[in-house]
Amino acid sequence: MLDEKIKSIHSEFKKEISGADNQKIIDEIRIKYLSRNGLVSVLFEELKSAPKEEKPLLGKRLNELRNSVTLMFEEAKEKVDASEKFSEHKIDLSLNGIARSIGSKHVLTQTLDEIKNIFKGMGFSVALGPELESDYYNFEALNFPHDHPARDMQDTYFINDNFLLRTHTTPVQVRIMEKQEPPVRAIMPGRVYRNEAVSARSYCMFHQVDGIYVDTNVNFAELKATLVSFAKQFYGSELKYRFRPSFFPFTEPSAEMDITCFLCHGSGCKICKGSGWLEILGCGMVDPNVFKSVNYDSEKYTGYAFGMGIERIGLLKYGIDDIRIYFENDLRFLKQF
Amino acid sequence: MKVSLNWLKKYVNLDGIPVSEIIHTLTMSGLEVEEVIDQNEIFKNFVVGFVKEKTKHTNADKLSVCKVSNGTDELQVICGAPNVDAGQKIVFAQIGAVVPNGNFKITKAKIRGTESFGMICSESELEISDNHDGIMVLPADVKEGTPISEALELNDVILEIAITPNRPDALSHFGVARDLSALFQRELKLPEINFEESSEPIEKFAAVEILDEVNCPRYSSKVVVNITVKESPAWLKKAVQKIGMRPINNIVDATNFVMFETGQPLHAFDLNMLNGNKIVVKSTKEESQFTTLDSKIRKLPLNTLLICDAEKPVAVAGVMGGENSEVTTETKNILIESAFFNPSSIRKTAKALGLSTDASYRFERTTNAGGTVYAAERAAQLIAELGGGKVAKGTLDVYPKIIEMPVVTLRFARVEKLLGYFIQPEKIKNIVTSLGFEITDENENEIVVKVPLFRPDVEREVDVIEEVARINGYDNIPTIASFSVPLGVKNDDSSFYDKVRDTAVGLGFFEMINNPLQNEKIAALTGSQIGVLNPQSLDMAFLRTSLIPGALMVASKNFNVGEKNLALFEIGNTFNKKSEGNLIKEFSDFTEDTKLLFLLSGKASLKEWYSDEKNISFYNLKGFINSFITNLALDNVLNDSYYHSEDRIFNLVFTKEHNGSVIGKGGRIKKEVLKQFDIQQEVFCFEFDMKVLEKLSTSKTKYIPLLKYPKMMRDFAFIFDDDVEYNDVASFIKKKGGSLLKSVRLFDLFESESLGSGKKSMAFELEYYDENRTLTDEEVEKDFTNLITLVSGEFKAKLRGN
Repeated sequence: MLDEKIKSIHSEFKKEISGADNQKIIDEIRIKYLSRNGLVSVLFEELKSAPKEEKPLLGKRLNELRNSVTLMFEEAKEKVDASEKFSEHKIDLSLNGIARSIGSKHVLTQTLDEIKNIFKGMGFSVALGPELESDYYNFEALNFPHDHPARDMQDTYFINDNFLLRTHTTPVQVRIMEKQEPPVRAIMPGRVYRNEAVSARSYCMFHQVDGIYVDTNVNFAELKATLVSFAKQFYGSELKYRFRPSFFPFTEPSAEMDITCFLCHGSGCKICKGSGWLEILGCGMVDPNVFKSVNYDSEKYTGYAFGMGIERIGLLKYGIDDIRIYFENDLRFLKQF
Repeated sequence: MKVSLNWLKKYVNLDGIPVSEIIHTLTMSGLEVEEVIDQNEIFKNFVVGFVKEKTKHTNADKLSVCKVSNGTDELQVICGAPNVDAGQKIVFAQIGAVVPNGNFKITKAKIRGTESFGMICSESELEISDNHDGIMVLPADVKEGTPISEALELNDVILEIAITPNRPDALSHFGVARDLSALFQRELKLPEINFEESSEPIEKFAAVEILDEVNCPRYSSKVVVNITVKESPAWLKKAVQKIGMRPINNIVDATNFVMFETGQPLHAFDLNMLNGNKIVVKSTKEESQFTTLDSKIRKLPLNTLLICDAEKPVAVAGVMGGENSEVTTETKNILIESAFFNPSSIRKTAKALGLSTDASYRFERTTNAGGTVYAAERAAQLIAELGGGKVAKGTLDVYPKIIEMPVVTLRFARVEKLLGYFIQPEKIKNIVTSLGFEITDENENEIVVKVPLFRPDVEREVDVIEEVARINGYDNIPTIASFSVPLGVKNDDSSFYDKVRDTAVGLGFFEMINNPLQNEKIAALTGSQIGVLNPQSLDMAFLRTSLIPGALMVASKNFNVGEKNLALFEIGNTFNKKSEGNLIKEFSDFTEDTKLLFLLSGKASLKEWYSDEKNISFYNLKGFINSFITNLALDNVLNDSYYHSEDRIFNLVFTKEHNGSVIGKGGRIKKEVLKQFDIQQEVFCFEFDMKVLEKLSTSKTKYIPLLKYPKMMRDFAFIFDDDVEYNDVASFIKKKGGSLLKSVRLFDLFESESLGSGKKSMAFELEYYDENRTLTDEEVEKDFTNLITLVSGEFKAKLRGN
């Protein structure tokens, strides 16, 4: 009885599938034979009530039926699938693949990520702070007295007498130290503002990474070693470097770090203005007056600090010749990185 | 600041040191040499020429054809100057020379048909004066062929040095020479004052009174009488030109020369113009006006420090002199002012007047209170030499409260602690003394130094350590091979932002970074905007209140360049006043929020061989936002809400909420808004509050064991009235289904004639399972059948098919 059914379903199926030339019929056949309540499944249900001694043989037949039907169905389906797209029954391997779009991070974010990873590898935390900052955090606590020419070093957008758009991420140093006793070891990336006319070389805002390390035995030699290690990881291990004395109100002694120009390797070119050197960051030992603003004992603790701009790195690294392009967000630019 | 190497060499012997080493050493000591102007280079190919013969050009009335000897050859040169003549020694620019004025190269030329092999130059062409009334005629005794750099002593090297604000002393040749002396261990020799004074005492000619001692702690002056104001001699003119100033007359040039020599700004008053022959230094008690010597009327704010005579102001102290007492060709007697002013007072005045002069630049950085008399005497000596006058006997030096030199103790151990290496005490002592510091006491552990007043940047031990490090060379500070890192909690405040960026990128979005400064109208669209006091332009005068307007500007720009399909995101801060019209006095008066914005516009899929073109719709936005939220594992934390009613920015609005408060909102941007940005195509945006997202996402994701038993699927389709919303039906099914019903999914939706007008079909797939057992057909069927009845009843829906 069941055996008969197997045979008849098999032949019926063969007939139907041979005439299946479109997706609709294929679907109907699938539901009729192969779905949960399809004819094949129903036979398996019937197998349960078959005489015990016939079960093994019938089971085997049933499995054969299912395999055969499934195979024929898949073949037919493939044919239909293919024929619906191609006139010829073959795949043109030279066609473009079916794409999925993927975006990308802004080149400045990518650069910042690289920098962050290097410093995180050297045990630095990452801290953020506000962009609309008070005069106290941006200047006063960092040893920029009122009416001091040092303030001219950073053209400032003022909101009023007491508030401004931060000119550097250095105020975050003060904010961390206010909250925490040494050791403090962190970098502070973020957006900063300078009140400068917009041109190919300068923009009203840019991104900076500041860093600070305060503990009982921090010295200039360690600052130098840390930054040299960073520069070699970031710019390449072959570079030469130099530290020049400079001035920042919040560090004493202060320095600027130059590396050999990676375009001309020190022989002098347009990028390095013929000097062979590129200035990459400012740094120094934290000024005791800064420690005073956060109630650290400057006899007990010493610290170093540094800061660098991100945009400039891209200008140098990718040959970008106009800083404004970073902030125009032209898709043709964004897609390049 | 421009510094002349020849000038420096008068104070410190630099013999045998190559220029390149001087430049390098200065840079490496903190006096960064930014530019080097080598006059020998500039005047290469310029030699003394001798005009042997002059004839008229046959084709041009105003041109002469000259035969010029350069010492070896005789060359034909066309010259247009009327004063050229045979027998003159002239400045001859040979082929290859680059003329400084205009920066053009001399080549062989044909002028009106006649060949010319060089050029005879005027002073203005050489940029040694403004005189262009013809060619420069040299003394007859210079030999032809002599390089011009030698003949005119234009063989200097000018260094442009970037002086940091802490080093006012280095705004002078003395200061730079002092550093060189310390760096190369060569003796510093400053000029000695040596001149004859007349028998008449200065008190007979003038008197000085300081009424504002706080802002003018010291006022020194000398008087020179019977001078003749005239053109400066060549050496002085050349000296002031080298440092970038225009020669004026012997008196002004002399005071400028001394300022660039000593760093002390000076001012010369016409003594006869000073009423009562008196100087009174005082601050204004009310706003007033004053005409400075550049003939401009200046508004003086309250508390401006002024130099007055017995009746009226004669100079804005430390900034600029007045027209009423300026030295003119008629001037006979002068009073030289050499004062020390309070730096912050001068800075305030200069800022208020919008006027920065060489004098104010130095005063506001702190000048040498101890050097006023020396500078006054030095100027008097020069002026007497140049102007033929007599220096009155004595100096008027009003110095009510002597400013003491700071005394600093330097511990050798502290030097090592801060720099990380040991420097021999002998070396340290040598460095500080060569910088002009006086060691007043010492023992094996420390020295006590007195710091001269010309170094206002050195007040503390750490400042002296910097001097030691600087002169000893930062190159000598070792780097170390390893360092220890404090353990303890490490935070990365930016890690959530990074995660969000990764997700957005994975969804196909490109990150943008926009300028938060925008115009008021745009900033006001989305919030309560905060303005900047001193913007560069009105287009960048307010801080963004939301990321939406900036993104729309970007979209508009992209559409204009043909980039019509956009998927962009940005993470950035927005700024809003807490209440309209209030002032920002504290951090609590405004909010600074970090926002995340998505923008979608254009095609969801392009016409390709495998796909049809489809526009981005509201559902694309919703889908992306839901995928994003799911990736952050916040899909069970946030609820959706929707409304058709219009908002300021959107129509078709959709929000993500948590406990009733909106943490993200977006939808289709209204046409009226798009119009403001010149956008013609549909744009969809969604903005999240990142801080809240971050807070919610910190709840730990929990692992759910994988299902061990099969799922059972059922599906049904109903015909509904077309105002029945999907979510109402789906929620109803979910609610009414038994505990085994785990999810409801809409898999088909359509309207068609065959369904009847005002009708639509929605087909749902229902997923049943139990975590602990295999379900039976019967129990699923029972629930499913029950649901069919309930849905039909609730929504007056008709089951389709079968």
